[in-house]
Amino acid sequence: MDQDIIFRNNVKIKGKGKQSIIFAPGFGCDQTVWKAVAEAFEKDYQVILFDYVGLGRSDIHAYDSKRYSSLLGYAQDVLDVCTALDLRDTVFVGHSVGSMIGMLASLSHPEYFSHLVMIGPSPCYLNDPPNYYGGFEREELLGLIDMMEKNYIGWANVFSQVVTNNPELPEVKLQLEERFCTTDPIIAREFAEAAFFADNRSDLKKVTVPALILQCSNDIIAPLEVGEYIHRQLPNSMLKIMEATGHCPHMSHPEETIRLITQYLNEASVSVEGSPVGRGVPL
Amino acid sequence: MDEQLNHAPCGFLTLSEDGFILEMNQTLLKILNYSHDSLIGQHVNSILTVPARLFSQFYFFPLVKLEQRVEEMYISLEAGNGEEIPVLINALLRKVNERTVLECIIIPMRKRNEFENELLLAKKETEAALKAKHKAITELETTLKKLEIQKQELLELNQQNQKYKIETQKELELARIIQETSLTDPINNDKVQMEVFYNASGELSGDIYGIYQIDQNRYGIILLDVMGHGISSALITMTLHSLFQRLISAGVPVDLVMKELDSHLHKLFDNNEEARHYSTAIYLLIDTERQKIDYANAGHPPALWQDPNGTQYELSSTAPPLGTFEGVVFKTNTFTYKKGGRLLLYTDGVDPLISNYLAPLVRKTVSLPLFQLKQEILQCLNNEKKVDFKSDDETFILVDLK
Repeated sequence: MDQDIIFRNNVKIKGKGKQSIIFAPGFGCDQTVWKAVAEAFEKDYQVILFDYVGLGRSDIHAYDSKRYSSLLGYAQDVLDVCTALDLRDTVFVGHSVGSMIGMLASLSHPEYFSHLVMIGPSPCYLNDPPNYYGGFEREELLGLIDMMEKNYIGWANVFSQVVTNNPELPEVKLQLEERFCTTDPIIAREFAEAAFFADNRSDLKKVTVPALILQCSNDIIAPLEVGEYIHRQLPNSMLKIMEATGHCPHMSHPEETIRLITQYLNEASVSVEGSPVGRGVPL
Repeated sequence: MDEQLNHAPCGFLTLSEDGFILEMNQTLLKILNYSHDSLIGQHVNSILTVPARLFSQFYFFPLVKLEQRVEEMYISLEAGNGEEIPVLINALLRKVNERTVLECIIIPMRKRNEFENELLLAKKETEAALKAKHKAITELETTLKKLEIQKQELLELNQQNQKYKIETQKELELARIIQETSLTDPINNDKVQMEVFYNASGELSGDIYGIYQIDQNRYGIILLDVMGHGISSALITMTLHSLFQRLISAGVPVDLVMKELDSHLHKLFDNNEEARHYSTAIYLLIDTERQKIDYANAGHPPALWQDPNGTQYELSSTAPPLGTFEGVVFKTNTFTYKKGGRLLLYTDGVDPLISNYLAPLVRKTVSLPLFQLKQEILQCLNNEKKVDFKSDDETFILVDLK
């Protein structure tokens, strides 16, 4: 086991199962966002959590602006973790841009992954009329990055004492720190640029690993049109529309998220035994 | 809604946990330019700009979920008329009558926002300047490294050069010794007395001379000056030397000696015009029994003969330098002398024109012994050098006939 990668990406391994399952956070998040969902899998799976370099409790010294100027740099983090742990046929669960990172990782090493679970994925946030609706114009995404700057996102570590100085809610302090404080402002901005201006539409058709797409209701970040687009483009995929609203069902609606993932994985293993060819279910 | 809250100097808004609008005070409605009924039950997104919708999904709702409150968050609202309104928002998640409600206070911050925009702009400019500085420093460091490498290369080349120079110096020194060993010694007996001076401008000289006693009464004295100086001229003097040594020792007549030397130079450079060198030469054959001197001068500065009563004669050139024109006829000139005369042969390094100082000096020193005359001439040469710093090969031969 490569201890350097374990340290660099703050890899945590829990659970009693033999089948491994790895959870990849979305934009700007660290592994703590998986708390509710990941715990449910510990009984039957070997649960792997990690932080991308530059986020959470990763080794910030390993951050390289050039490498992480593209999602491929983050995909390499996933591959490095898989290599370090010698993973094969692991279940990959990614949220938002994390699911695209996993998709990219599967292109170079499909043997590492048995299934991709993509929660609220989008291959391209920008509209590309007339044939593609990503949901956003460039100015709107730049506006988001500006708003991050004005809210001192990433500056939180500078102000952490002020932000968390809340005697009423002491237990929140640690969680909040883990969620926000470890992000450097430059890293936050570079991650935003890599994530929101990515266009991985042409990669979808190359994916060989079967995938489940979990599409939230009323998700303004990854709207239904985008979920349906991915489902059409991904060769072996299943699309599930969730009752959960918003963009973070793993946090807001963990039960439904757990139920749909478990259901998919159970059906998939049955399906594998019955028919080795098609593991996906058409829309 | 409480009257005071309804008209409070800040916007007030309550949301359901998943972001739907439950209540809104008059102040906020006024800010947003909406009527009350149209917004109740709508999702909060309908009063947010697109970036704010995104931002609330990424940060506002997750923070509320984690901390049950949000403080000092900057977002932008979108009013009914499409106007963008920058606001600060504080929110608190609270249980009210078994229902979880998110209560929000909203304060517009147009002026502050402009100020912050300016600050951010200044910050970005500073960052860009810093980046440019770092880039310039990196480039300078790269250039410095290259220079260091080049300097090292130069040092190595210099060392090689130094080594080469030392080796060349040794070689030249050896060559000088070889050239000087080819020079004959002056002859001193009861008939003739001689003094010789020979000095190369560099290690090697383009001048060469030879003094031979052919038989009991005859002496041959030759002086040549190959054009240029340095290694190439010196090499030519050596080929001429081996030839005139044989010719003169065998007693070959004056005109034939000159002719042979001339042919030799022509042959030498027949197929190599670029390397062609010429040489001036003067050859004297002295017969002490008959008191007669045969001579020929090919382009050489005139030799000086001073008879015992002090009359001076110039033995001037009668032919072009050796190796210039094909088919030149060299003629032997002859004169007889009385005992007690003095001869001076020299190259143009000593005096380009005899009239400069040599002739007067020789006349003035008629009564001085030969070695003292030599000292006088050297004294003059040194004085000349102080005036102009030109340096050429220098040779002169003094002969007293007794």
